[in-house]
Amino acid sequence: MNIESNTLLTALAAAVLLPFVVHDQYLLHLAIMALFYAVLASSLNLVVGYVGEFSLGHTAFLGVGAYTAALLSAKLGFPMWITIPVAGATSAAFGYLIGAITLRLQGPYFVIVTLSFAEVLRLVANNWIGLTNGPMGLAGISQDGIADKRAFFYIVLGIAVLSFYLCYRFVYSNSGRGAVAVRENRYVAQSIGVNPFESAMQAFVLGAFLAGLAGGFYAHYISFVGPEVFQFAFMASMIIMVLIGGKGTLVGPLIGAVIVTLLEEYLREVQQLRLTLFGLIVMAIVLFLPNGLMSLIPRRNESRNVDLVGAAPVKEGSL
Amino acid sequence: MDLFLQFLTNGLVIGAFYALSALGLTLIFGLMRVVNFAHGEIYMLGGVTGWFFTSYLGLNFFVGLALVTACIAVLGWLVDRFLIERVRGQGEEPGILLTIGLSIFLANFTLLVVGPAPLKVAGAVSEAPIFIGPIVITKLRLTAVLVTIALIMAAHLLIQKTRLGQAMRATFQDSMAANLAGIRTKQVYAATFALGCTLAALSGMLLASIYSAQASIGGLVSLKSFVVVILGGMGSFAGAIVGGLLLGVAEAMWGGYVATGMVDIIGFVLVILILLFRPQGIFASHAERA
Repeated sequence: MNIESNTLLTALAAAVLLPFVVHDQYLLHLAIMALFYAVLASSLNLVVGYVGEFSLGHTAFLGVGAYTAALLSAKLGFPMWITIPVAGATSAAFGYLIGAITLRLQGPYFVIVTLSFAEVLRLVANNWIGLTNGPMGLAGISQDGIADKRAFFYIVLGIAVLSFYLCYRFVYSNSGRGAVAVRENRYVAQSIGVNPFESAMQAFVLGAFLAGLAGGFYAHYISFVGPEVFQFAFMASMIIMVLIGGKGTLVGPLIGAVIVTLLEEYLREVQQLRLTLFGLIVMAIVLFLPNGLMSLIPRRNESRNVDLVGAAPVKEGSL
Repeated sequence: MDLFLQFLTNGLVIGAFYALSALGLTLIFGLMRVVNFAHGEIYMLGGVTGWFFTSYLGLNFFVGLALVTACIAVLGWLVDRFLIERVRGQGEEPGILLTIGLSIFLANFTLLVVGPAPLKVAGAVSEAPIFIGPIVITKLRLTAVLVTIALIMAAHLLIQKTRLGQAMRATFQDSMAANLAGIRTKQVYAATFALGCTLAALSGMLLASIYSAQASIGGLVSLKSFVVVILGGMGSFAGAIVGGLLLGVAEAMWGGYVATGMVDIIGFVLVILILLFRPQGIFASHAERA
């Protein structure tokens, strides 16, 4: 733990000092996007990595957060420090609602129904023109007089730190351990008193909350929100980040977010080529590195979080 | 009333293509237990390669249909042998991820090669209208639907009457026993996957002769195919057909009477409702397998 926390503190210190070293606005923008994606990837990882169910509907929470902040700001004139937390809360409420419906399902059904929810929201955003301005989107969202990218950097860094802290607290809470136990073996977990629905729900709502915060931030930073936020391309990026870094680890999604954000930027000129390569990368990871980059790093305290139940393989005949 | 019959006809026409595509998915999803998220992209490839053979090279529609069948069958075979095979037996998740990767790759690679413009497959016959009582249907649509029905029947016969079909049914009932009985199950898996892909691609080509194919349509088609399979009950051949027709009609009615803008929402609302109240599908008495 000590080595890990030292590394993390060093990384945090480096992040805090970054805007003083980097004056290039473009690089600072990349850093902001990397942190934004780090929050998203971490929040998705709660469901995909810890609960072990594949949500393809995570853009729903990003989008709900972004639209909430955009509407509060554009139509009612609320400042950012209100709109972003409210965006998180609204997303969490949606998370509770969608979770209550979807978490009873498993496997492919869960995947399809979460994806359906995101699609329904995208179509609503596209067609409820009175509220969302349809495909035109909501433009000119107030930035509350913040003209400096540096300020945005510290806002998103704050959200990222909060996100990491909440994920950490969840993973090492009873619910987090319960979720991992269910992921590894549902029936054994139930037999020792874990309620699969409850722990999954907590991960789902927390994930929705964090994605909502990220969405709220995104609305103000980009100062535009359209139905694209619900698009599968966002979802694909998030999944790839979680996978590249290593699902079911706290640090993996952060590493994945940084790598993919940089890759995305440098391949931006050739949008289609970028996504073509992405497709290949995903397939290669599944085949050759199923546990992500984190699995390449030898760790001293063999991840208590990853193999809670599966750590000691049951020998044949021992049951 | 006349309008209702017209909407019904339009719905059944589209529904027939949904059914054909969903039949492919029900083989892959219902029987093989592979959640193929690239199904829609295979459908799209059917339209795009169909366009290449008929409109671009100027071949006859049915020659094009045969060539698409051959190309996509080989593609499906390769995908199974080189991708799906490697994660078989590891649960659903690696397969889901693999096919998501494949779908992103196929959609964007196609976009790179042919661009985003809609591509129209040159149809077998003209678009002259035919009047059946109060209903109007073009010759082209009618032919496409008849071909679809013929393909569905051919697929049914293939599975029920041939050696391959027998091997397929044996493999999905008990692959270990089938293996012991001398069936090369790996080949059967690959053949089933190839067949499933081919049905999707043919559906895509036929529909692209009426409308058009676009590199970006795959995602929506995948979802609709899943909707139909869930609607009909996993792995049920008849369910996929009824489910496909039902979705087609529901969309046509919604588009005709309520709002044209949000036709696609019907499928998603249906799938959410079904999974909520009747996860085994409307038409399956229990989780029936074909």
